[in-house]
Amino acid sequence: MRVRFALNGEPVELDVRADETLLTVLRRDAGILSARESCGIGVCGACTVLVDGRPTSACLLLAPLADGAEVATAEGLGPDHPVVRAFAEAHAFQCGFCTPGMIVAATALLAESPSPSDAQIRHALAGNLCRCGSYVKILEAVRRAAA
Amino acid sequence: MRAAPEWLAPSSLEEALALLAERGDEALPLAGGTFLAALLNQRLIEPACLLSLARIAALGGIEGGEELRLGAMARHRDVELSPLVREGWPAVARAFGVVASPRVRNQATVGGVLADADYASDPPAMLCALGARAVARSAAGVREIPVEELITGYYETSLRPDELIVEVRVPRADRAVYRKFRTRSHEDRPCVAVAAARRGAETRVVVGAVAGRPQHFPELCRDGDAAEIGRRYADAIEPIADVRGSAAYRKRVIAVEVRRALEELAT
Repeated sequence: MRVRFALNGEPVELDVRADETLLTVLRRDAGILSARESCGIGVCGACTVLVDGRPTSACLLLAPLADGAEVATAEGLGPDHPVVRAFAEAHAFQCGFCTPGMIVAATALLAESPSPSDAQIRHALAGNLCRCGSYVKILEAVRRAAA
Repeated sequence: MRAAPEWLAPSSLEEALALLAERGDEALPLAGGTFLAALLNQRLIEPACLLSLARIAALGGIEGGEELRLGAMARHRDVELSPLVREGWPAVARAFGVVASPRVRNQATVGGVLADADYASDPPAMLCALGARAVARSAAGVREIPVEELITGYYETSLRPDELIVEVRVPRADRAVYRKFRTRSHEDRPCVAVAAARRGAETRVVVGAVAGRPQHFPELCRDGDAAEIGRRYADAIEPIADVRGSAAYRKRVIAVEVRRALEELAT
């Protein structure tokens, strides 16, 4: 079946199976590699993308449900985006596997609350797991991006 | 390679009910799809046909009045953040707001979490404690099912194959609390959940996540203090053993958490 949506502002049209997830088709057919599969059950946050502005686990969203939506990934932000810069400046990662998901989730938080409290940041990023344990630096990066 | 399921996406409830009446045995209704996508990813189900409710705008509303009316396609995050729900049914906003992560709450729906009947989900116990009813529609008619009777066991409900949950109606309570006891840091599902609600002289205590369906024992709540009722619940429940805790551990936690919920309810 055909699915059409906006990907980082550009229209795309993909041929998908009804039981495939958005994550599968983004990686296979749309050249999006920032969203990664790690747990595959919506727990880890490594595949976080924005669907109509809302952070979503691409591994739990069946691709046909993205039809007509605005999908945004870390690729759409670019190196000069304030959140991307803040993560680099704060060294808010070690291996970097979780970083795109963290950045996308942080972007959504800052769009909703431009000056979040630490509690709000923790709450918004709860469910984005970093197995290197870079949480302290990640918190710092989001504070930096908010400032 | 197995055949891809057919994708049906009706834009009206009538159309969806007609499709279910015709193909209820093979068409699997799909709401937010968090649960079904996880099952599909793991190849645990191979449906012939998926019936998406996503295009039925009429199912997404949240309305208040004497009772709270949550549309089946209202998302957890909408319930959590709704000023109407926070003001009039704060324990409902809380129970939906502690589910998983913001990502899952952006996708998972009110109707979906009830129809899945996953024992480790948060909202069912709270909805039971408040005496909420699910409104089920089919092409043949409509009926209201108390949430307590809707969930019959692990992933089992009393819904017929031609029925869809279209709305959940939640009465007001004088006070209600939801307590979520977690034992795992990585997944945010409860080991033991306790929902309690007081309306006039009646107190309802429901324990979730410990057995196939929410556990409610009205006769155990009629007298006695909080600690005594906690002990009675611990005695009455035969808890499941899973990765979040053994049966014996859960019994001890049930006694403590029921007591705490009742103490909180009294404040």
